[in-house]
Amino acid sequence: MNVYDIIFYLFAAITLASGFLVVTVKNIVHSAFYLLFTLFGIAGIYVLLGADFIAIVQLLVYVGGILILLLFGVMLTNKITDVDIKTGTLHIVPAVIGVGIFWGAITSILTSTHWKSLPAENIEPTTAQIGTLLITDYVLVFELLGILLLIALIGAATIARRDKE
Amino acid sequence: MDLNSLYTSFNYIAPEITIAVALIMIVIFDLIFDKNKKIIPYIAYLGIFSALFFVAANFNLTGTNYKVSSLNESMGMISTDTFGSFFKILILVSSALIIFFSKTSEEIKKTFERAGEYYALIFGMILGMMFMVTASDLILIYLSVELLSLSSYVLAGFTKLRDRNAEASLKYLIYGAVASGLMLFGISLVYGMVGSTNLAALNNYLQLPLANVLTFTAAAVLIFAGIGYKISAAPFHFWTPDVYEGAPISITAYLSVASKAAGFALLIRLIRIGFVRFIDGDGNWHISGIFDWQSFIIIISILTMTLGNFSALWQNNLKRMLAYSSIAHAGYILLGVAVLSNHGLMAVMVYFFIYMIMNIGAFFVVMLIADKTGSEDIDDYNGMGYRTPLLGVALTVFLISLTGLPPTGGFIAKLYLFIALVDANLIFVAVIALLNSVVSLYYYVRVLKHMYLTRSDKDDLLFEISLSNKFFVTGLAALILLLGIYFTPLLDLVKNVSFFTL
Repeated sequence: MNVYDIIFYLFAAITLASGFLVVTVKNIVHSAFYLLFTLFGIAGIYVLLGADFIAIVQLLVYVGGILILLLFGVMLTNKITDVDIKTGTLHIVPAVIGVGIFWGAITSILTSTHWKSLPAENIEPTTAQIGTLLITDYVLVFELLGILLLIALIGAATIARRDKE
Repeated sequence: MDLNSLYTSFNYIAPEITIAVALIMIVIFDLIFDKNKKIIPYIAYLGIFSALFFVAANFNLTGTNYKVSSLNESMGMISTDTFGSFFKILILVSSALIIFFSKTSEEIKKTFERAGEYYALIFGMILGMMFMVTASDLILIYLSVELLSLSSYVLAGFTKLRDRNAEASLKYLIYGAVASGLMLFGISLVYGMVGSTNLAALNNYLQLPLANVLTFTAAAVLIFAGIGYKISAAPFHFWTPDVYEGAPISITAYLSVASKAAGFALLIRLIRIGFVRFIDGDGNWHISGIFDWQSFIIIISILTMTLGNFSALWQNNLKRMLAYSSIAHAGYILLGVAVLSNHGLMAVMVYFFIYMIMNIGAFFVVMLIADKTGSEDIDDYNGMGYRTPLLGVALTVFLISLTGLPPTGGFIAKLYLFIALVDANLIFVAVIALLNSVVSLYYYVRVLKHMYLTRSDKDDLLFEISLSNKFFVTGLAALILLLGIYFTPLLDLVKNVSFFTL
């Protein structure tokens, strides 16, 4: 067990524990804060995988952006901070069966599949390569993403706008 | 990919570029002509007809483009072929019909100061669908599905006139998010095994007996979940009735035709390019043994049509009834896919062409009547056959065609489907589909009973419809009757377009 393994298990533990807390705590603001640790833990795992660009994006977009928006949404919405979310358990038997089957399937998929893997090389920065790919091989996808964002903006403006009575 | 091949690739996505340019033109004109939005629908027409021109001009163009340098020469992001062109024409024609539809609809007229956004979002849908029918790479497939979904979530709740609109939008969004999450998970499983997102690379991988059956089954089912949601196949259909009822009726019609067409084209291309080992002389597709698409789709389709037809029996709202009927039709069309042969493919294309006309026609009549009476309830259709003879007759034609009785186009559509099923020795399935058609007769004819046999106290209240609407309805009804008698041109067209670029 070398130092990388230890760091991996550390991040994995942070992710799992805070993820569990996100869905179990009753206060919605606490839940949002635990989400911060979950997303941070995932960013750490990306770093260990040598995916530096994705790790930074994960930090900037999810931890820095989406989570702050989420907190603002919670705080600006009237009275929602005091409300306990309903966390009661319903239909426990079918849920356990469903989750059990799903867990079994996922585990056997993970262990029995021969995954395609590349040999571990020295880790190099990926940002420049991603940039090159985005404007060469994946240029169509890149341009289409731009249109997708435009549509998302138009859609958000349409939903948010209040109609004149 | 070098600049030279990028330049030649432009020709292959000319229709898509046209649509994207039209989308941006709409946004710009909406900003410039702040007060006068009358011009926007005409820009939309212009965009759609220019795109149609490019599709028609490049109809026989074939090839794969946007190649990925790490892959084999023949693999690219998009495959241009006649199959794709046929579905692009279907999508563009139904979009043109829907724009006419929207210009007439009272609901959309009430929100006309937001016309710019409405048409921009429609063009977002068109662009997403055009890429769905042509994409041969899972990244592009996912992105185009998302583009279509995002635009349609907003459009489903666009009018904001009633609470139902918001409900429709929210339900669509939540179900859609789950479905696209499942699809993405399936895609990630495929990528984990194949090491590429390209469908042709997937096919190459499946030629060798390397794949783990369990993992592959999970991946195929998960990817199907994303597509099944788009085509409203059971058990991913739960959103359909509420969304169809709550959305503006022009969008309901659009979702039930164009978005389904794109979903089916995507499913067929996924199977055809990703999973078919070889095609024998009779045009039967031989699928890799890793996943039994035929049994899977047959089970899904029987479930879909039975659920759709039986739930439609008790509906009193016509929009809701047509929603369930469109679920049932998705079931029939899935059977055509399940045949997994060139014959089945032809049956699917014939069915879709006719389904587009009859379904848009039926929704258009329902919309015209709802604009006058303010309701889609079946009791408000009492005596409608006398109050507005033209609409009554037209709706009769559309509903008979949806049932699949001669002498309408719907009969030809069902006939070819059943022939394809019997040819493939799926007689048991054909019998189930036939029995389902009998069930559907009840709820379609029930509307006719209300229109002609039940009298109401408003019988003498005739109502006026504008000349252009009369032409539109008469045209669609005449086309349905014509296709029931003289269908050779359609068959000839379809025979020539079942060609794929691998």
